[in-house]
Amino acid sequence: MELKVNQDNCLGCGVCVVACPVNASISPEVSGGHGALKEDTIMMVENGFIKLLNKDVCEKCGTCQMFCPVDAIWLE
Amino acid sequence: MVVNTKEVTDKDFNIKRLAEELRNLSFKDHICIGCGICESSCPVSAITVGDMGAIIRNNSPQPKLVIDEHECVLCGICSGVCPADALTFSIANQPISEIPAYPKYNADVEIDDDKCIYCQKCEIACPREAITIARSLPDRSKLVTGEIEIAEDTCVYCGICEELCPADAIDVDRTPEAETINVDKDKCVYCLVCKKSCPVTAIKASCRICSYGDYDINLEDAVTKGSSFIDDELCIKCGWCEGVCPTEAVKVKKPFEGLLKIHQDKCTACGTCVDICPCDVLSFPKPAKSGDIVDNVAKEEQYCIKCGACARACPVEAIEVQISNVDYIPTKSKSWSEKFEALKN
Repeated sequence: MELKVNQDNCLGCGVCVVACPVNASISPEVSGGHGALKEDTIMMVENGFIKLLNKDVCEKCGTCQMFCPVDAIWLE
Repeated sequence: MVVNTKEVTDKDFNIKRLAEELRNLSFKDHICIGCGICESSCPVSAITVGDMGAIIRNNSPQPKLVIDEHECVLCGICSGVCPADALTFSIANQPISEIPAYPKYNADVEIDDDKCIYCQKCEIACPREAITIARSLPDRSKLVTGEIEIAEDTCVYCGICEELCPADAIDVDRTPEAETINVDKDKCVYCLVCKKSCPVTAIKASCRICSYGDYDINLEDAVTKGSSFIDDELCIKCGWCEGVCPTEAVKVKKPFEGLLKIHQDKCTACGTCVDICPCDVLSFPKPAKSGDIVDNVAKEEQYCIKCGACARACPVEAIEVQISNVDYIPTKSKSWSEKFEALKN
C-alpha cells in the first residue's frame, strides 16, 4: 500500500496533517493544529494544497483517509 | 510431481497441491482479524498481512492477507496457529482441526441452555455478531387475568380509552351513526386506565390478580422459551458473552494468556487500534466532567484475546501485547510445537 494525494481535490484544510498519528509523534505541535516546525512530517499544506514530504515513514493506519472531507488523500 | 495452484475468488483464495493427497489451504477474508500470527509463523515467509488500519477503516478492496503460492509449501502451520480460524488447511478434504495428529488451540465457548434466560445480552455485546438468541415470549393473556365489559348503550364513542390504552387493546370506530367499540381480550392487561378515564362510566373492568393474587395464573405458561446459537466460524472467544451474562450461563475458554499494555505517552489517539480490535476491548474514554483529562485510549482487558492486531496496526508503537501462555493440544511434531511455543513473547 502506498500513500497518495490528489491536489486537484485538496481544499488545503489540513485535517490530514493534524490527524496523522505519525506527524503527531514526529512534531507534537502539529496535533494541536500548529504548523510543523520541521520538515520531517509525512505531509503538510503548502500554498493551499497538500504536499507529501516523507511518505516512506507512513505506517498506513488510514487515519488521514478517514478524515479527509474530499478524498484527496488515500492509501492504495 | 507436485504442483501448487492458487485460485482466487474476490478476496478469498484456495491453494491446492496436486500430489498423492489433496492438500488445500483456504482463506476467508471476512473472518481474518489481521493479527499477523500466520505471517510470523510461516516457515517460508509466504504470507503477507496487509495494512489492516487502512484496509478496515476505509473499506479497502484489498485482501487482508496475500500468499505467494510459489513459496507456500502447504504445511498448514498458518491454519493451526490462526486464532480466528480464517485459514483452513485440509488434507484430502478433511480440515486438520479434525485430524488428531495435528495440534490445535484449547478454545471453547458454550451456552448452558438450562441457565440461559434468553435476555439476549450476549447477542448484543458480541463484537462479531456470532451469537443468535431466538426466543418465544409467553402470550400476554396468560400473564394477566381479569374482566372487562363495555356498556354500548352508555358509551359515547369518544375514543379517549382507545388513545390511552397502553396495550392497544381497544378499537373504537367513530363513523357517525355506525360507531362501534371492541376490546381485544388477548391484548388487555386489565390496568383499568380505560375505566378510570371513561367520562361516562361505560366501562366495567377489574383485575383479578389485584383482588385475589395470581392463583389462576399457570406459571408454566408464563415462561419465555428459546434457543441459543453460536457461529463457531465468527466467534473469537473474547468473553464478552460470559462477561455480560446475568445468569452465568456462558463459559468461554481462551487460548492465550498475557498482557495488553498501552503506552499513553506515545499514543496520539488516532483510533486505529479502536477500529481494528476484533474484541471491542479498546475505546476512547469519556471524561466524567468537562475539563477532566483522561487517558488517550482505555482498555477492557478481560475481553482481550492477546491476538496483537492492535499492536501490529499502531502507527506509533504505543501498544504492546505479550502472550505468556498458549493453551494447545500437544503434538509429537517438534516443528509444530516450536511454532506454538514461539507465539509466547
